[in-house]
Amino acid sequence: MTAKPGREAAFYLAPAFLLALGVVLVPLVFIVITSVWSPATGFSLEAYRGLAESPLFRRSLLTTFEISAMGAALSMLLGYPVALHLSRLAPRARAFCMILVLVPFWTSILVKSYAFTVILGKQGIINSVLSWIAGSEVYVPMLLNRVGVMVGMTNYLVPFVVFPLLASLLAIDKSIYHAVEILGAKPPTVFWKVTLPLSMPGVTSALLSTFVMSTGFFVIPALLGGRKDVMLANLVDFYTRETLDWNTAAAIGVILLGIVTLIAGTAMQFQRSRGLARGT
Amino acid sequence: MEERVHADRLVRRWRLLGLVLAVLVYAYLVLPSLIVIPISFSGAGDMSFPPKTYSLALYREFFSTSTWMAPLIQSLKIAGISAVIVIVAAVPAAYALVRFEFPGKRLVMMLMMSPVLVPVIVLALGMYLYFSRLGATGTTLAIVLGHSVYVIPFVIVTVAAGIRQMDPAIEFAATVMGANRTTLFLRVVLPQLTPSVVAGILFAFLISFDEVVIAWFLSSAQTTTLPVRMYSSIQWGVSPVIAAVSTLLTALSFLVCLVSVMLQPATARQGGAAGATLSTNPQVVPT
Repeated sequence: MTAKPGREAAFYLAPAFLLALGVVLVPLVFIVITSVWSPATGFSLEAYRGLAESPLFRRSLLTTFEISAMGAALSMLLGYPVALHLSRLAPRARAFCMILVLVPFWTSILVKSYAFTVILGKQGIINSVLSWIAGSEVYVPMLLNRVGVMVGMTNYLVPFVVFPLLASLLAIDKSIYHAVEILGAKPPTVFWKVTLPLSMPGVTSALLSTFVMSTGFFVIPALLGGRKDVMLANLVDFYTRETLDWNTAAAIGVILLGIVTLIAGTAMQFQRSRGLARGT
Repeated sequence: MEERVHADRLVRRWRLLGLVLAVLVYAYLVLPSLIVIPISFSGAGDMSFPPKTYSLALYREFFSTSTWMAPLIQSLKIAGISAVIVIVAAVPAAYALVRFEFPGKRLVMMLMMSPVLVPVIVLALGMYLYFSRLGATGTTLAIVLGHSVYVIPFVIVTVAAGIRQMDPAIEFAATVMGANRTTLFLRVVLPQLTPSVVAGILFAFLISFDEVVIAWFLSSAQTTTLPVRMYSSIQWGVSPVIAAVSTLLTALSFLVCLVSVMLQPATARQGGAAGATLSTNPQVVPT
């Protein structure tokens, strides 16, 4: 539009760019430096060596992968029917039903965590109902264990599955459905042979993004999980605030950042090559 | 003919199954937050569900004790200031990213959008280490700055969607007629962007108001925010007052959600999925 687009853009970008530089980039550099350097010992890889030998770290690394994979998969199972339902509605009805997904999306994670302690707890709603039905005291442990974490995670993640999936489902050409119906395909066949394969871009992107998001979860495992559900983020908090071991906390931060960058980077590369193949 | 009828029945049964599954998941998503509402109105000392007696005792306790009021005021202050900073920074940035091509654009974009990709816990730890070095942890300013950079990407995405719907010819005409860039931005670009900017302010306020992890790392006993107060309260034995706080937060989320749906451009609303992108495309980072 103008002769010097670079300078023009810099004028508009300056405030956001300076904030990102000062409050995002510099802190991230601080983490990397803190993970390998301390005033007392100078440069050392002690924090990483300590982590490699720590059973606590290895266990929570494994837990993080387990919970993230399970959370992403379960959220996909729950989110698919919703996305499919939304994709078949008329625009007006869809806008209404969308609110049912948007409200939980905007609801504070703490409100949900509190609600689940009320629902799943020992004297919670589910256990009370079960006791009433059984006529005696029934206690199914659902809080401060893996069940609680999964309930919290899936409840949080389902909207993130629905949005990309819905976009994918709406992109399917309606005439394909007409064609297969005329050819006499039954609904299950239509689903397995047409809908599901054609929605695969949405499925993969939803699975990847929910998995990546889950690896950094902090509040849900802390409030709904038990001792066996400590994830990397909780370990970061533990080393920072309980033991004041900033080097170890920073090293875990770097590892977490590495995992996320690796997965997201691979996914982006993959999407770009597929995009090029399609010529978009 | 008979086969046709059979096929129709199969289609209908299959549709019904899909509907039932979808309704169950909708209920799973919405009901937990709603269950909190009756509990918040339960009578003093009554912790059962559904409550046997109703009263405003929990709200009275929330609004009369400084353990809850001080964090509430702190959160309102932080969210308010952050929203202003975010709008001032994100609206022009979104404009530059949509309208200009320049060397290093991808890099600049990646840096500004990185708070969406980087796990919040990592961001929070980095800010904690950094502000400790500056002697600023526990200050309101540190939390405001932390929240601002965290929210900027969401608002950039929201506003960028609005800018893409504007006709660049109008800006071109203004430039040709001699408008300088300040006039162009304030008198030509901004007036067309009002819905996106209002939505951006609401999102910025709500995200900051609800944010826990950054505030958990950066706040001190004097600067505790409402979510941090809630977090420690849920962790150390649930106080019934949380039901009242949760109800207020749910009402706020519902309000923001409704306004955001109404502010969406008509075309996006009809598009359904496209309509969702405005308010929901940014991946919310895990908390």
